[in-house]
Amino acid sequence: MRFWVVLLGVLTHGLVWGHEFTPTYPELETSYMPGVLKAEMHLFNSRKDINYYQVSVYDENWNPVKFATESKIIQMDYLDHKDIEVYVRKQDENKAHYICTKSKILKGQIAPTLLASRICSKIK
Amino acid sequence: MIIKGASALKRNTMKKLLLATGLLLSGAVFANVPITGSVASKCVINVDTPGVYGNPSANLLSTDPSDGGVVPVVRYDIISAELYKAKISYPEDFTSSPSLNDVVNWTGSVTVSQTSDEAMASFETDKVEYNNTTEYDLDVQGSVWFEVTSTADYGYDKSFPGGEYQATVTAECIAL
Repeated sequence: MRFWVVLLGVLTHGLVWGHEFTPTYPELETSYMPGVLKAEMHLFNSRKDINYYQVSVYDENWNPVKFATESKIIQMDYLDHKDIEVYVRKQDENKAHYICTKSKILKGQIAPTLLASRICSKIK
Repeated sequence: MIIKGASALKRNTMKKLLLATGLLLSGAVFANVPITGSVASKCVINVDTPGVYGNPSANLLSTDPSDGGVVPVVRYDIISAELYKAKISYPEDFTSSPSLNDVVNWTGSVTVSQTSDEAMASFETDKVEYNNTTEYDLDVQGSVWFEVTSTADYGYDKSFPGGEYQATVTAECIAL
């Protein structure tokens, strides 16, 4: 029963507005730059009301950790998939704990109540 | 009679040959086409129902249906159990509103409204509440729907100035 409900959810998830960020446990790997590690993430936007997501990296106490990526604010159309490379300094390898994406709402967007979604993956 | 028998045998052999060719060809036409896929462990946050504030009295904005509002509903799809926790916060501020010169008193709640598995009944009993945030351990696989109520009461029975008001519910999924 549970399997069918989950399968139904997976098959029909495009019908509602959703935010997905994977993998759950990314790994920091060696990048092409010395002293810099990278994690490969994937973002899927099935929220019709959202076109921007913000990437952030935190330590275990939710303090921001310095990182680099192509763009910290990512523009995504409805049903867009995007691979994101997050670069962290080797010296912050043990400090960086979470990589998160948060939906961003445009100023002036007309909606009575808004929902900000944030998904955080934990670095292995 | 012998000639007739030979001709019938020839026709029969021909039929069998055609049938065999047909079967061989049909094998090529109905080749198996595999479809492969994988479902990664993840948490998906879905906006099931966007909320609406009703304005039952001049000083009050409320998502309660009896006040003319619509309660926002957020759905979490949990592909693998015990990997994430959900953190849902009701608003404590307007994201946009006309200029306000008095205090807004915010109240709200987060409750499980529907589940795909009866084992998820523990979500509501084991939830942790602090400030405007409620935390749930997503330790059962499936889908769960959360209702987030919100009320904004302006000053001491003061009328909200006319205009558009927006507030934001925050739904988070944090890997454990």
